[in-house]
Amino acid sequence: MIELKNIFKWYKVGGNRAFVLKDINLRIAAGEFVSIMGPSGSGKSTLLHILGLLDEPDEGEYIFLDENVLGLKEKQRSALYKQHIGFVFQAYHLIDELTVYENIETPLIYKNFKSSERKAIVAEMLDRFGIVGKKDLFPTQLSGGQQQLVGIARALAIKPKLLLADEPTGNLNSKQGESIMELFKQLNEEDGVTIIQVTHSEKNAEYGNRIIELLDGQLVS
Amino acid sequence: MIKTYFKIAWRNLAKNKKSAIINIVGLALGMAVFILIALWVWDELSFDKYHENYDRIGQVVQTQTFSGEQYRNVAVPFPLGEELKTQYGDYFQYVTMASWPGEHVLSQADKLISEHGIFMDAEAPRMLSLAIVEGSIDGLANPNSIMLAESTAKAIFGDENPLEKVLKINQQLSVTVTAVYQDLPDNTSFANIRFIAPWALYVTSESWILNQRSNWDNNSFQLFVQLRNGVTLETVNRSIVDVKRNRVDEERKKLNPLIAIQPMKDWHLKSEGIMRYPGERGGSIKYVRLFSVIGVFVLLLACINFMNLSTARSEKRAKEVGIRKTVGSPRQQLILQFLSESVLTACMAFLFAILLVFVLLPWFNGVAGKKLEILWTNGWFWVAGIVFSLFTGIIAGSYPAFYLSSFNPLTVLKGTFRIGWMAGLPRKILVVVQFSVSVALIIGTIVVFRQIQHTKDRPVGYNRDRLMMVEMKTSDFYGKFDVLRSQLKEKGAIEELSESSSPMTAVWSNQGGFTWPGKDPALQTDVATIWVTHEFGKTVDWQIREGRDFSREFGTDSTAVIINEAAAKYMGVADPVGMTITAGDLGGGDYHIIGVVNDLIMDSPFQPVKQTFYFMNYGMVNWINLKLNARKSTAECLALIEQTFREVIPNAPFEYQFVDEGYAAKFAQEERIGKLATFFATLAIVISCLGIFGLASFVAEQRTKEIGIRKVVGASIFQLWRLLSTNFVILVLISCLVASPVAYYFLEDWLQNYEYRATIPWWVFAVAMGGALLITMLIVSLQTIRAARMNPVESLRDE
Repeated sequence: MIELKNIFKWYKVGGNRAFVLKDINLRIAAGEFVSIMGPSGSGKSTLLHILGLLDEPDEGEYIFLDENVLGLKEKQRSALYKQHIGFVFQAYHLIDELTVYENIETPLIYKNFKSSERKAIVAEMLDRFGIVGKKDLFPTQLSGGQQQLVGIARALAIKPKLLLADEPTGNLNSKQGESIMELFKQLNEEDGVTIIQVTHSEKNAEYGNRIIELLDGQLVS
Repeated sequence: MIKTYFKIAWRNLAKNKKSAIINIVGLALGMAVFILIALWVWDELSFDKYHENYDRIGQVVQTQTFSGEQYRNVAVPFPLGEELKTQYGDYFQYVTMASWPGEHVLSQADKLISEHGIFMDAEAPRMLSLAIVEGSIDGLANPNSIMLAESTAKAIFGDENPLEKVLKINQQLSVTVTAVYQDLPDNTSFANIRFIAPWALYVTSESWILNQRSNWDNNSFQLFVQLRNGVTLETVNRSIVDVKRNRVDEERKKLNPLIAIQPMKDWHLKSEGIMRYPGERGGSIKYVRLFSVIGVFVLLLACINFMNLSTARSEKRAKEVGIRKTVGSPRQQLILQFLSESVLTACMAFLFAILLVFVLLPWFNGVAGKKLEILWTNGWFWVAGIVFSLFTGIIAGSYPAFYLSSFNPLTVLKGTFRIGWMAGLPRKILVVVQFSVSVALIIGTIVVFRQIQHTKDRPVGYNRDRLMMVEMKTSDFYGKFDVLRSQLKEKGAIEELSESSSPMTAVWSNQGGFTWPGKDPALQTDVATIWVTHEFGKTVDWQIREGRDFSREFGTDSTAVIINEAAAKYMGVADPVGMTITAGDLGGGDYHIIGVVNDLIMDSPFQPVKQTFYFMNYGMVNWINLKLNARKSTAECLALIEQTFREVIPNAPFEYQFVDEGYAAKFAQEERIGKLATFFATLAIVISCLGIFGLASFVAEQRTKEIGIRKVVGASIFQLWRLLSTNFVILVLISCLVASPVAYYFLEDWLQNYEYRATIPWWVFAVAMGGALLITMLIVSLQTIRAARMNPVESLRDE
């Protein structure tokens, strides 16, 4: 499903290059649940952003679903992204001005779903994550764990093939974190969603079926 | 302490260069407009204050009633002056009769010039407190004397001493120069008067004037007075109101002539509805008020920007406020901190505004027809400027200062602080106010120009093209009709030449006392009367509707009259040609109507054309009209005409005017208003745009995170642009809804000033609305598209 070949990413500092990612080669098959680990500043988030088509490498090749995405035009890439990728963030990143219901609905609007279809999908998501009773609340009225559930529901609403999560439990207490991880595992096993998560926690990493370690922008192992 | 405030204020401005520049430029534009308008208003309000006795000088105004309508006119009968002097002498320090001001030829040896001058009583120079350069202020005591303005003395005598030199007025009256006075400044009613000659001389110069000495019926003169100290205008006006009424016969009493004195302070700005000499139109207190309001509004717009941007940035400053509060800064100090920032901005804006005014003033003077100056050396100007900057700074800074300093430090530092929907409301209202003013000004500008264009497109009833006129200033002009006409035609300079009593661009005389068969006996007639020569119609190319033009083939045409369409309606007769009019006030002669012409616009193009009778009389004329030959260039024609005039009339300067230029001058005031309105509207829009630009960039910044999230969940740039722009578009639409009825109300009121007026069609509002929307969209898009294109990774970092 995913193949990275010789990926480099750097920032110019003065006349020198400060490498964030150095020569990354990586293959991820459909249906995998991968955890990316590594200390702060090792390039985990950057790698995730590149995988999620939010960022571009300075060098290298990225093949996603048999397409060389770096050669694609902005429009095609954004279509590919809209179709197949869902994002979950550490800080949830919900829109404060919108209700739970509206937050989940947003990506569907941008994918031009009809109103009735949107209603059905959002209802399904609310039901699935047990937050039907919270649908008219605003994000600030929810606990962290509940907010993250909404974030995941929003990511899954478009039925993505690939779910990317950047420290999804980083702002949660251990109990909330565990339930989120259980949910991920279930999604991966029952729905066949490919998941790539960035995490600090060994325990969370164990939920996946493969661990990738990054150190100073390079793959270890 | 103060120093620290300003140091930190300076750093804050330097750190946020973009918003600082928007603030300073916006405020400076507002201030510049305000200063320009203030200078203009100051000039208008100080009109005539040059005269030391300003408070006590007045002019006599007569009110008469014709067919139920009141007419106020400064023209009064000759004996009125004597009456006021002898019967009411206790009230007046000076009573001085005066002629109409007019162009006269002054000559000395071979020097010939034409100057604007007036004949007045000997006390006039004292009344007007003329500043004497040489000679005596009582120089008019001798009837054969003249007082010259410095510019006139220079023009005639150069550097020679003009005193005791002998001049001729109109090649006819010998006068000795007895004094030279400083030219009157431009903002005085007598500004264009370049010489004063004695009234006593005027009276004896022509026999008809002497005959008016005891005639209460002929209103052909002006009368100025100066009240004695301690006498109030009300007292005088109450006692003199019937002074003329008591002197006229029963027939004239019907016109109910009332006499009153209009004080000098009202001459310039409050003369609406008073007939002064033809063509003169004073300023109006209405425009002074209107422009004052606009000036304050434009300044207000600039202040609103300032408030908006400062409060909008408050979320960024909130942290600073929180930290300052936790380290123990009292609220009062925070207020001072923010105020010093706004005062500093205002002072910088003031300096910039002075620069702008300096650059714009020559252009503004051109538009406004003024000679305004920045009062560099006037201490009060600077004091006013500093007070004004402080005031603007405090006004503009007060809202942000009090608002920002009210933050609760705890919520701010915990990061739970949010600017809610309500906090944005005042800002939205301010934006609506701004755009309402801008939209109203756009609508106003369009309507003013439509009115001008509408009036310009009005058919004038004759052909202005290549039509020239020459005033017959001295007696040398008379008796030369045939020579001029035949010579000029022979040389091919002209197509036709004729003479008339009024110029093509004015009506100089009106008469009453006409009767005709079937006339309503109650109607007190008031008709414009113009005397012309045979070929007048051919020269100006008037359009005969019925009957025929004057013709040399009919000997009886000396008692013929041609009337205009308005006159036919006024008389209420269906077929006027062939009818006979009896002119009671013109010696009772009978005149037969030979034709009806389309209305000729000779007076104001904004008013309906008055009923007019055109008589034929070679002796009653004052102007020569020439139609230039179309086959030669204007320059060639002019050269030939000048040469011929110099040969035929050597003792008068050759001066001419083109009718189309004279006609265009009738629009001067309206065009001035139009240009000023454009100027103000443009600035208001620029200022509002600066504001909305700043606000849009702030909103884009404030919503960066939300934009990032939306992009991550799949929003396109177009969708984000729409999301961010909608709010602004709604605000502008609300502004249009507010502005349209207000603008409509005021413009309808303004148009009532004109009898001949344009409509206000719906598309004017649509254009203004569309324009405002388009500009808003452009400016907002600049910001939102940039924000929408940002990489969400930047804004969504979790650190």
